[in-house]
Amino acid sequence: MFTIGKLASLTSVSNDTLRYYEQEGLVEPAGKSPAGYRLYDKDSARRIRFIKHAQNCGFTLAEIRDLLVLRGRDKACCGDVRTRAVEKKLQIESKIRAMKAMSKALDELIADCANETQPVNECTIIAALERANVKTPVH
Amino acid sequence: MKVEMFYSPGCSECVAAHARLRTTAQEAVKNLVWRELNVLDELDYAVELGVLTLPSIAVDGKLIFTSMPTVAQLRTALIERSKGRE
Repeated sequence: MFTIGKLASLTSVSNDTLRYYEQEGLVEPAGKSPAGYRLYDKDSARRIRFIKHAQNCGFTLAEIRDLLVLRGRDKACCGDVRTRAVEKKLQIESKIRAMKAMSKALDELIADCANETQPVNECTIIAALERANVKTPVH
Repeated sequence: MKVEMFYSPGCSECVAAHARLRTTAQEAVKNLVWRELNVLDELDYAVELGVLTLPSIAVDGKLIFTSMPTVAQLRTALIERSKGRE
């Protein structure tokens, strides 16, 4: 069994983050010491590593909570988890596409700005932004 | 009319559900083209259509369902759209 400090050093996560994970229902102590301190076991360390890896893959804490539930559910099949991973990839690819479109729009604004020494009230970028008929993204 | 179902290969239950939906669609609309697309094989196209959840169903290149519809929901949606085309 580990104290919170030991678990933090084992998983390279701060004590505050571990308390936050506990608050969010992602991890819970395996027990308490006679003095009332939280104690964790190897499974807690495994869960923390799982959470960190999933965060690196773009999953939110709410999504990770679902994955942890699936991980512990007898009837869940690998396909359920895979589908969640594929959906996350779709979301990320969609964001990449949106970001590329933003980058391209900025390229056009920058290219339109012929003279960076003009006074700001003649700034072509500001004028273009004021003229722009921005579409509200559909969700 | 072209119906495209985007899916991620998964459980056998999903395969059975796809078959039921395909049969329903083909009974509801004449000259229907039904395609089942593994989303990972058609990722760019799926993103272009706005597919974010699976399964999703597009009709004539427009996203109509973003989760598995019931047989009745699919039938109604296809009949409505085919009326609009007449």
